[in-house]
Amino acid sequence: MTTESTAVGSSARVLQNEIEVAVIGAGNWGTTLAHLIASNGHRPRLFTRDPDKCATINREHQNPRSLPGVQLHPGVVAVTDFADTVRSAHLVLLVLPSRGLRETCRELGAFLRPDQPVVHAIKGLEIDTHARMSQIIQDETCARQLGVIAGPNIAVEVAAGKPAGTVIATPFPAIAALVRSLLSCQQFRVFDGHDMHGVELCSALKNVVAIAAGMVDELKLGDNAKAFLVTRGMSELMRLAFALGAEPATVAGLAGVGDLMVTCASPHSRNHRVGVALAQGMGLDEAVESIGQVAEGVYASLAARALAQANRIEMPLFTQINRVLHERLPVLEALEGLLQLETGRDVPGVLRRRG
Amino acid sequence: MLRTSHEADGRATKPGVLSGARIADEVVRRVRSRVVDGSDAHIEQLLYETIYREQLRLADNDSDPRVEVDRAFIRTLRHDLAHARSPQLQQLVHSVLTHYTEEISGHFDPRVYKLATTVIPPALGALLHGGRPSLRMFDVRERVLLEGEVSALQWAARAGTVVLVPSHVSNLDSLLLGYAIFALGLPPFAYGAGLNLFSNAIIGYFMRNLGAFTVDRKKQDPLYLDTVKEYATVLLEHGQHMLFFPGGTRSRSGAIESHLKLGFLGAAVSAFGNRRARDAESKPIFFVPCTLTYPLVLEGASLIDEFLRREGGPHFVDVRDEFERPERWYDFLRQLAELDLQVHVRFGTPLDIVGNKVDVRASGISRDRRGRPVDPVRYLYRDGAVVHDPDRDAQYTRLLADEIAQGFRGESVALPSSVLAYAVFRRLRARYPTLDVLRLLRVLGPHASITLSELRPELDILLAKVSQLSAASAIHLSPELQGAGVQDVLESGAKTLSSYHREPVVVLEGDLLRIHDPNLLLYYRNRLAGYGLCAEQDDPAEELRASRRFRP
Repeated sequence: MTTESTAVGSSARVLQNEIEVAVIGAGNWGTTLAHLIASNGHRPRLFTRDPDKCATINREHQNPRSLPGVQLHPGVVAVTDFADTVRSAHLVLLVLPSRGLRETCRELGAFLRPDQPVVHAIKGLEIDTHARMSQIIQDETCARQLGVIAGPNIAVEVAAGKPAGTVIATPFPAIAALVRSLLSCQQFRVFDGHDMHGVELCSALKNVVAIAAGMVDELKLGDNAKAFLVTRGMSELMRLAFALGAEPATVAGLAGVGDLMVTCASPHSRNHRVGVALAQGMGLDEAVESIGQVAEGVYASLAARALAQANRIEMPLFTQINRVLHERLPVLEALEGLLQLETGRDVPGVLRRRG
Repeated sequence: MLRTSHEADGRATKPGVLSGARIADEVVRRVRSRVVDGSDAHIEQLLYETIYREQLRLADNDSDPRVEVDRAFIRTLRHDLAHARSPQLQQLVHSVLTHYTEEISGHFDPRVYKLATTVIPPALGALLHGGRPSLRMFDVRERVLLEGEVSALQWAARAGTVVLVPSHVSNLDSLLLGYAIFALGLPPFAYGAGLNLFSNAIIGYFMRNLGAFTVDRKKQDPLYLDTVKEYATVLLEHGQHMLFFPGGTRSRSGAIESHLKLGFLGAAVSAFGNRRARDAESKPIFFVPCTLTYPLVLEGASLIDEFLRREGGPHFVDVRDEFERPERWYDFLRQLAELDLQVHVRFGTPLDIVGNKVDVRASGISRDRRGRPVDPVRYLYRDGAVVHDPDRDAQYTRLLADEIAQGFRGESVALPSSVLAYAVFRRLRARYPTLDVLRLLRVLGPHASITLSELRPELDILLAKVSQLSAASAIHLSPELQGAGVQDVLESGAKTLSSYHREPVVVLEGDLLRIHDPNLLLYYRNRLAGYGLCAEQDDPAEELRASRRFRP
């Protein structure tokens, strides 16, 4: 027997801490978000298909595989019944690898109602279609009240209670308010954005730049070189994102520059680690295997290449990284190739948008 | 007097007649209550903005008697506002809203509608013949084909309130749609028509009496925009079917509109919410996209001219001889008949407020993109009830507009003339790869030509691509194109394009196709832009922007 919720919590509901959130995906970020929601007194239902994991979380309030050593708030309830979890949620929060999203959404669509908002915290683009995550959700479900959470948020740091900031980007102010009340606390600052489109593009594309940063670090080319390369990558990212409908200022926000800084610097960043591994001479498969987790930049680079071609935007840095990743171009050769390019304008004088 | 069904009110009153005056009162009351909710400073600001915008508008033209009336009104308003205190501010708002509502209101009269629809079609025929034997053969039923989801539209008009949203090609669109609505046995549709159409005495008379209300696109002050949108909302809430062109204006480039105006769509989304908030059982509102495809466009020459001037700016130089291009609708209709050409009016699948397709075979439930049933009213729910949320509705309106634009593309009809124009233009571009579009038009001038041996392979590839699109339901093929070969398209397309316009667009001469009017060639080619038919950029506006960026 399931109770049918009545979606988007009113302010009364928020005050009474009655918001039930279906957190789909019990990896390190999903678990962390569930922990924050519970710490704010609301009711996260952390969905996992793994009954052992579910039992461990509910018994020991720990998720040792994803967040070793972190004690979770007892309000984090792990569940394995997908349909029930979705039906009774006031808000659905999707925290999965981008490659699994479409399939999960197809399942989600069978239970979701139009009044249930869906927010995702996924940094990727679909390989075949180059679709943003919110486009996949719209394709596969009836949900139209959507939002995205993104920013410089290394899960283990947030879970350990260290200060961090994030952005909830959505064209629906009611959803922004709801997410703020679910997640915001003294250590975790939640900012509003309305450019969902731009935040999704920035947070997916910046992973490609992070791979390049890992390469420069490993090759010890110096801090100047790293800043140079990351900034040029940013400039390419901005041109592409703008052509695809993002607002330029979004690139300067938490999901753009903010996330890029942490991804390019932190040894926790999977994408950075892929870059390091490649620079050590590993092949792509070996590099990905050595990390043991999904590095979204590997796939985002393919989507970026196709989108850049379709929009006739030159992205030399992205192109070279792509060739390293998918055409076995040696890292050093790729970076040398960039140094041989003619230098043009630093920042674009005019941004061009299609149609 | 506007007769409406009363289910919208949700009250168990006996069906009655709702007067135009009552609609107007309701509009004024609603807008006024929103405005006077604000502070005095806010109200004052709105009034000053109205004066400012109206003065800018009225500074331009001087002859129209209506302009004189507006000038006097604004003069008085400015005078009164200077001395107004709090209670008088509200009174001034009221007078502005009343002034606007009076202009907007149509004078729909069911008796006139009945008269018009029984008398006009034969009368139109007689009028067109006008004693000229050449028009005897013109029969609107043979020349205008009503296609697509016709029965879904008829069902939607019975089961709910329809918002018909056509793409806008020509000034003839309104007349053809009026005919279509009548021929399909649909009840009358109200529609917002540009003020300029009312200045023609005969057309104006019929427009007013057939349910048109006035929209003055030049008025841009917030009070006017709010009033005109509320007018549409109130009409829809009372169950009045409506028609408006979401592109806002005729497509100047000849391309199908991709950027739609959100104002009236938003009004319709609000109407759905208002109705459901009052009465959960009230009828739904359906959005029906519709396209008109003309083999020849009455005012094509002046439209593309305007497009090139506007988008090309100083980079556009018209090399053709100057000549007058009046809209020759008599010649136009005669040519349609003589060449046995048809206008395609296609109706798409009805959509709900967020753009989900409505399944008329399943008594009008919405379906998500995977075909699962959806109850659209739940998009308006919070905590189990319909909640008013303008930010949310604005976003829904954007989603709906995207789906309608997509519907336009899918419901458009490819014709031999547009396929031919597309192929010829692409070959000409390839001939001068370094030229941007504006310079290409200049270089081509009125004497360019292309050999058929050069053209045929291009047409062959294009035909295959268009057929693929059609197989994927991304476009429709006209009957002439179905199974047509390259030679058929060449002959049929060239025959169409060499008629009607003052200068033939192209002429077939032995092994050559001569291009006399490259601008119109571009216009007819643009109809197929944006379908990804070639590897190059073919977005008309973007092509011209590229032209403007050119620096020698």
